[in-house]
Amino acid sequence: MVSPSENLNLNNMYKNVLVLGGGVAGLQAASSLRDLGYRVTLVEKGEKPGGHLNNWDRLYPGNITSSSVIDGYLSNSQGIRILTNTTIKSALKSDKLLTVITSSSEEITVSAVIITTGFSLFDATIKEEYGYGLYNGVITNADLESLFISGKIHNREKPSRVGFVHCVGSRDDKVCNRHCSKICCMTAVKQACEIKEIWPETEAFCFYMDLRMFGRGYEDLYYEAQNKYGVNFIRGRVSEVGEDENGKLVVKAEDTLTSRPLKISLDMLVLMSGMVKNPDNKALSAIFETSIGEDGFFAQPHPIVNPTGSSSTRIFFAGSATGPKSVAESVNEAKSAALSVHMLLSNE
Amino acid sequence: MKERLIFGYDPFVLPFLIGMIFIIAYLLVGTVRIILSLNNNEKKQLFRIFIPVNAYKIVKDIILDCLLHVKIFKRNLLLGYMHSSIAFGWFMLIVLGHIEVMLFTPQRNGIFYYPIFFRYFVMETEETLQGAFFFFVMDFFLLIILSGIALAIYKRFRSHRLGMKQTTKLRLGDNIALYSLWLIFPLRLLAESFTADISGGSFITKGINDLFHSFVSNPANTLPVWWAYSCALGLFFFTLPFSRYMHIPTEILLIVLRHVGINATSLRDGYSEAEIYSCSRCGICIDACPMSFEKKDVKFTSVYFIRLLRRREIAEQPADLCLMCNKCVEVCPVGIDSTKLKLICREINNGAISFDYTPVKYNSPLKREKLLYYGGCMTNLTPSISTAISKILDKAEISYVHLDKDQTICCGRPLLLSGNLKGARELINKNREAIISSGCTTLLLSCPICYKMFKEEYDLKGIEVVHHSVYINNLVKSKRIVLKKTTDTCVYHDPCELGRGSGIYEQPRELLSSMMLLKDSPLQNNESICCGGSLGSISMPFAKRKIITGGSLDNLLTNDPDLLVTSCPLCLKTFTPLNSKRTADIAQVVSEQMIN
Repeated sequence: MVSPSENLNLNNMYKNVLVLGGGVAGLQAASSLRDLGYRVTLVEKGEKPGGHLNNWDRLYPGNITSSSVIDGYLSNSQGIRILTNTTIKSALKSDKLLTVITSSSEEITVSAVIITTGFSLFDATIKEEYGYGLYNGVITNADLESLFISGKIHNREKPSRVGFVHCVGSRDDKVCNRHCSKICCMTAVKQACEIKEIWPETEAFCFYMDLRMFGRGYEDLYYEAQNKYGVNFIRGRVSEVGEDENGKLVVKAEDTLTSRPLKISLDMLVLMSGMVKNPDNKALSAIFETSIGEDGFFAQPHPIVNPTGSSSTRIFFAGSATGPKSVAESVNEAKSAALSVHMLLSNE
Repeated sequence: MKERLIFGYDPFVLPFLIGMIFIIAYLLVGTVRIILSLNNNEKKQLFRIFIPVNAYKIVKDIILDCLLHVKIFKRNLLLGYMHSSIAFGWFMLIVLGHIEVMLFTPQRNGIFYYPIFFRYFVMETEETLQGAFFFFVMDFFLLIILSGIALAIYKRFRSHRLGMKQTTKLRLGDNIALYSLWLIFPLRLLAESFTADISGGSFITKGINDLFHSFVSNPANTLPVWWAYSCALGLFFFTLPFSRYMHIPTEILLIVLRHVGINATSLRDGYSEAEIYSCSRCGICIDACPMSFEKKDVKFTSVYFIRLLRRREIAEQPADLCLMCNKCVEVCPVGIDSTKLKLICREINNGAISFDYTPVKYNSPLKREKLLYYGGCMTNLTPSISTAISKILDKAEISYVHLDKDQTICCGRPLLLSGNLKGARELINKNREAIISSGCTTLLLSCPICYKMFKEEYDLKGIEVVHHSVYINNLVKSKRIVLKKTTDTCVYHDPCELGRGSGIYEQPRELLSSMMLLKDSPLQNNESICCGGSLGSISMPFAKRKIITGGSLDNLLTNDPDLLVTSCPLCLKTFTPLNSKRTADIAQVVSEQMIN
């Protein structure tokens, strides 16, 4: 292995960068760095790169398929060394280099690391009152996407009523997650429209606290959901879910706009499981000497002016490792992080 | 033994005498005020002290609690010794002093100060041999007290050595009383050692007399030391009403009131007044309170709550914050029901809030069964428990009616704990009607909060109220269901309302032990720490609750069990998000271990 030295003016070709996590942020960061002339190693703990997008059907706005996004990266991944089924065990810091040891005991010496380890999906069984894992009709947003991908959704009996519960495991102190997961409102609206496309006669209900339609085009889909698809929006949290003798779900909620308790029978209930910290964050933070926020996501010292910077010079973040983000935001941050790496290394 | 001074008087007795008269007058007025503030019914109840059983119990409790401090002994030997050595030792000195006066100078009977300063006024005669017994026991008890005082001083600086992580912070009145109390007995020792060669002494007074002979044989030094002793006593008596030592006389009154069946109904009725003044601020409740995981919240613990009440300051904040886990009441050596006092506080503040609870209705059940199951609100939020119960009952081939499967009417306990008795009563009546008209003979409950409520506040004559942990244990014992063993280990969390609240500790443990190895946790049974989820608190924010949940989990997972088992849906819900291991209800575990 060639060690860059300060006296030799080697070009970027000889500088190694490690990207940790093969989701959309990791793939984008790796390809940007490769384009800038660095030798990039992408470490992914799963069987294949792609992250959560592998289990997602379509993205909004634009209705493009997730697989097309991933395929785009993978078909253009030449020059990137991708290690799957690999994790990081430890890291050794020297002056301008970091030696990282992987789970397969390989030593990789790099000049910078971008952490793109993303998020985990909230375990909906913790919100036991929603009956996930207990009642067949209760699924999560991720389960529904899998049904869309596999096409198995069409094997299901046509439901007469489907409900969507927003903020499952988000904005909920009782399960120790105070943060908003940002994209679930949009996901619920998108999925409700998709369900209506498959079964136009099915009634759809969204139970929400607030609708956070923050992105461009999001509000438009919300209007479309109401006006074109006839999705019903009920402002109020679901309090509990039960099952009656016929296997129908009995959902109790509060309609805060009419100040009345509400009880409704549904055939399917989709829980918008939120984004929570990756459980590996703590260990990784110890290895790379970065810090972690109270919510368990990585913390940036200057989140506004330097959102991709960590408290260590050679460690950068991109994507939802630092909190819930949409795909577009993650891609942006990945490019930004790659540029930050380049600005650091090209001056050395 | 005969009198040394003809008049039997010296001006140094004055500080003590005035202090004594002051405190006796104060206590008399106080006692009369408390008795007057009792209502007519309660005044009539006072006559029950003449019933021999009650009288026996009162005397027994006074000896065991006020003098020997048996409850503190059970917590910590050194701490118990500290309290009982001072209380019992002092009591014995007073009693023996009076006996001496009666025996040797009967003409001075009834003079307040005489037994206290007996040694100053008498001198040895040829009867000394007879008196030597008293010299010895008096010195012996003085030594006991001094050792207690030494421990007390040590405890002020190193409380954890006496089994207390934290001790109470004192204020001016307490401090003066404390220091004068600390001074009384060393001064008594010194004073008596002056006269040890005149009026007799034993192993320590005589010893000190010998040791410091040149100092103590100088008559000019004698009076100042007796003055100092008398002043220390006088000062103690004068500060007593303004200090925590009011607990010494008040506790006796409290024991009397308790045994005649009087209870607190308002914040300043006779009973609560007696409770408030009986608090010795020993601080045992500080360590017991789950809020003390956070040092800054120690100010909300019961000892400080009661101090606020005593000073007639606003006690709303600690009253509303309290989780009502009842642990402070459980460990209180005086038996002060501070939870009840907090509840009274809440009733004053929240009693007037009124909602309409009438719209909710039960669907009338299609069948009548002997067994009626009521899950309650919390079980409806943890459907895994009701699912497990129905599996178990099906397996045991017991038919039952699930009263609130469709929708539930709250048992009323949250309203009761928030101080809204009227609202609670409304719910109680609705539920009671539904339960009685169902014609059941057994009411099965999954939630300990409901269990306590149905047991205590509902008048369900002829209907057995039973919690599922007990019910399932009986099913296993009567072989209605058979369980297989697993190699997993577990720890059991005692829910506040089931353990301390209803005294059920053994049955759940017996049930768990029949399936797996049950590990202990350092604080369990009545010492168990609230999960932090308690609906007893009106104002506790989640951040604080999380700290308590963490502390409670640390205690439970001390011995590294595979599984945390509880028997309360609220505990289950509270522990699950923060527990790295599996949390399960006892019914869930049973339903998984059943053999067909």
